[in-house]
Amino acid sequence: MAEEGGGGGGTITEKVIHTYPLIRHSDMSEEMRTEAMELSVTACEKFAQNNELAARMVKESMDKKFGPAFHVVVGESYGFEITYECTTICYMYFGGNQAVCIWKCS
Amino acid sequence: MLKAMVKRALDHDSDTLLLKKTLLCIDKEAVNKSRGNLIEDDGLDWLKPRALLKPDDQEDVPEADLEEEVGRVLTTINPQWVSYEVAYHYGQGKFVTKPKPTFGKAYPLYVFQGTAIRKDSDEAKAQLAAGYEDVAEEEKPAAAPDEEPIKDVDEAATEADVEAAAEEAEAEEKEATEISGEGAVEIKPRVRKLANQFNFCERAALTYNFPRRSVDTQTIPPPRANYGSTALQSIIFDYYQEDYARKMREKEDEKPKRLRKKTTKLVKSAQQIHDEYLAQRIREAWAILERLVNQNIYDDIAQDYKYWDDPSDEFREGMGSLLPLWKFQFEPMRSHAVCDLQWNPHYKDLFAVAYGSLDFTNQQKNGCLCLYTIKNPAFPEYSVITESPVICLDIYKETPYLICVGLYDGNVCVYNAQLNLESSYQYKSDSVRDKHSNIVWEVRWGARMIDGEASFFSISGDGRVVQWAVMPGELQATTIITLTSNMPPIPGPDGTMVTVNSCGSCICFHPEKAEIFLVGTEDGMIHTCSLKYNRNYVRSVQGHHMPVYRINYNNYNNSIYASCSGDWRVKIWEDGRDEPLFMFELGAPVGDVKWAPYSSTVFAACTADGKVFVYDLNVDKYRPICIQAVVSRKTKKLTRLDFKHEVAGHRLRGHKGNMSRIEAISKFKSHV
Repeated sequence: MAEEGGGGGGTITEKVIHTYPLIRHSDMSEEMRTEAMELSVTACEKFAQNNELAARMVKESMDKKFGPAFHVVVGESYGFEITYECTTICYMYFGGNQAVCIWKCS
Repeated sequence: MLKAMVKRALDHDSDTLLLKKTLLCIDKEAVNKSRGNLIEDDGLDWLKPRALLKPDDQEDVPEADLEEEVGRVLTTINPQWVSYEVAYHYGQGKFVTKPKPTFGKAYPLYVFQGTAIRKDSDEAKAQLAAGYEDVAEEEKPAAAPDEEPIKDVDEAATEADVEAAAEEAEAEEKEATEISGEGAVEIKPRVRKLANQFNFCERAALTYNFPRRSVDTQTIPPPRANYGSTALQSIIFDYYQEDYARKMREKEDEKPKRLRKKTTKLVKSAQQIHDEYLAQRIREAWAILERLVNQNIYDDIAQDYKYWDDPSDEFREGMGSLLPLWKFQFEPMRSHAVCDLQWNPHYKDLFAVAYGSLDFTNQQKNGCLCLYTIKNPAFPEYSVITESPVICLDIYKETPYLICVGLYDGNVCVYNAQLNLESSYQYKSDSVRDKHSNIVWEVRWGARMIDGEASFFSISGDGRVVQWAVMPGELQATTIITLTSNMPPIPGPDGTMVTVNSCGSCICFHPEKAEIFLVGTEDGMIHTCSLKYNRNYVRSVQGHHMPVYRINYNNYNNSIYASCSGDWRVKIWEDGRDEPLFMFELGAPVGDVKWAPYSSTVFAACTADGKVFVYDLNVDKYRPICIQAVVSRKTKKLTRLDFKHEVAGHRLRGHKGNMSRIEAISKFKSHV
């Protein structure tokens, strides 16, 4: 139950930065979701400074594994309104400040 | 007419003679021919009249005219032919002369119109003029496209004069072949097809044209949905916080569950403890009350037990008697037989009873282990129902609350009489791996093992003697010896040889040498075995002719032992001798034999017909000092007995089988 670190004082432990991947919204199958999650983690860690490359890596890997026309967005701040084929969306957070959205639409 | 013609032809012949002869011949011939229709046979001419038939209207011609010779000439000109035939032409409205056929006057019988027409005919010319030749010329351009302009000019020029055009085209062809020279393409000579418009047919066949259809399906497009969201640092952070909080909450939720369970258990068990304590107190109170009642009821028996003196003994020198004291009965086990019993070595008033069944054709489904005290004959102090009839038991001398039992189904168990009844047995042999495959006939506690665990031995009908080490939580089995028999192996169904084990029926340990024990078998053998040899017997004696039921070592002389058997005999043996020292015939199968704990010469045996025999070899080597029918022989039989230890008067206890009554027969007065 971390509070905002605004308290300043001795509450150093309160400012907890969570970095684990966290699914915000997904209707993928269990297997696919796990795959997507692992891919995102790998890509974001590999290209920590370059979201574009990370997104490209995730997209290409997903295309190979689950068929073409995946779309991936990696970024820290964006909004989106998308149409996706059912059971192919995964919107997740990673690293505490990155949002990754993966969906398929062909 | 022929005559006239001949006459005309030979008109100018001077040779009249020849003429005449010719005419004669012709005449004759004519006559023959005219008659030939009617009469076939020439030989019959003469029968016919020679008169010539004349038609009535025949013109009379004078003889002179007839005689006149008319000359006739054969020419190639057809006199019938009309040289100018005229027909009316409707189109022109006048008569015109028909075209003269060149071949003469011919009448077509069959007309077949060919598909080709003459090249120089009008129709052909018309067709050529109409451009039909293009079809033929089309073939060319691919071969020699460079010629086309020339050809076009030619065509234009030659349309009027087909002949010339054809010739020119042929000439062109030659040129073309010359121009292309050795070119790969061989140009065929041009063939102009001139088709008959009215009866024209190509070689190619036209097939039926199927009507075209278009069939297409369309799949339902995969379902789609819309989703929209906004990723902002604040949103991401909040969601992480939320998720983390949820996780923490779940963790906290899980912990209390376990704790709650524990606490509830504790609470319950506290309640239980209270209940149990209360129940225990009540039970104790009731036990005391029961004891009080029983003490009053059985006071005279207790007095007899302690102080009874049979006045008739004075008149029976060397004889004694047995006095029945208590009768123990356990109602649930009414249909069971007492298969074994033993005094508790520590608590002098307590003894254990094994309820099983010896009626093997009608075996009971369960058994019972009971502890009775002589202070309360009405009800056992401890009783526990077992899954299988109990055949034998033994009380551990060091910790007298541990009782090992052998069951009918081959299992052995250890019961702890201190535990409450719910816990049932404390140890039980593994039903699959270790247990005996036959009835366990006798169990005996042995010495402690090297590492301090208690152990007991069991002997079973499957011919094995097994040592059971009482490990914490389990029994560990070790096969000490497998009893072999003298029988040769029997060939099994699939060719293997099945070795036959002899069936062990009793076991007895040497009082001093812990590794020596005696084994009695169902074929009457008594084997002396050692724990150190698991293959061979130390000694082997053919003791009886029937199963050996019990063997008992003398308490004072360790080399003397007694055995009893189904062959009605009790034998006294000494170690190392093949022949028994004494042999007593008791007239019925002997179920048990025991040396008295207080004397080296006194032993007792019980038989299946309900009698107890007591011998004192010091008094009488041949006859018992006491024979007493304890139970009626018809319905019951004695199976086991045991001496009560360390009581001055001895105490013998017979038990009866078939009904679950145990009678404490006691107060055997010894007359020395």
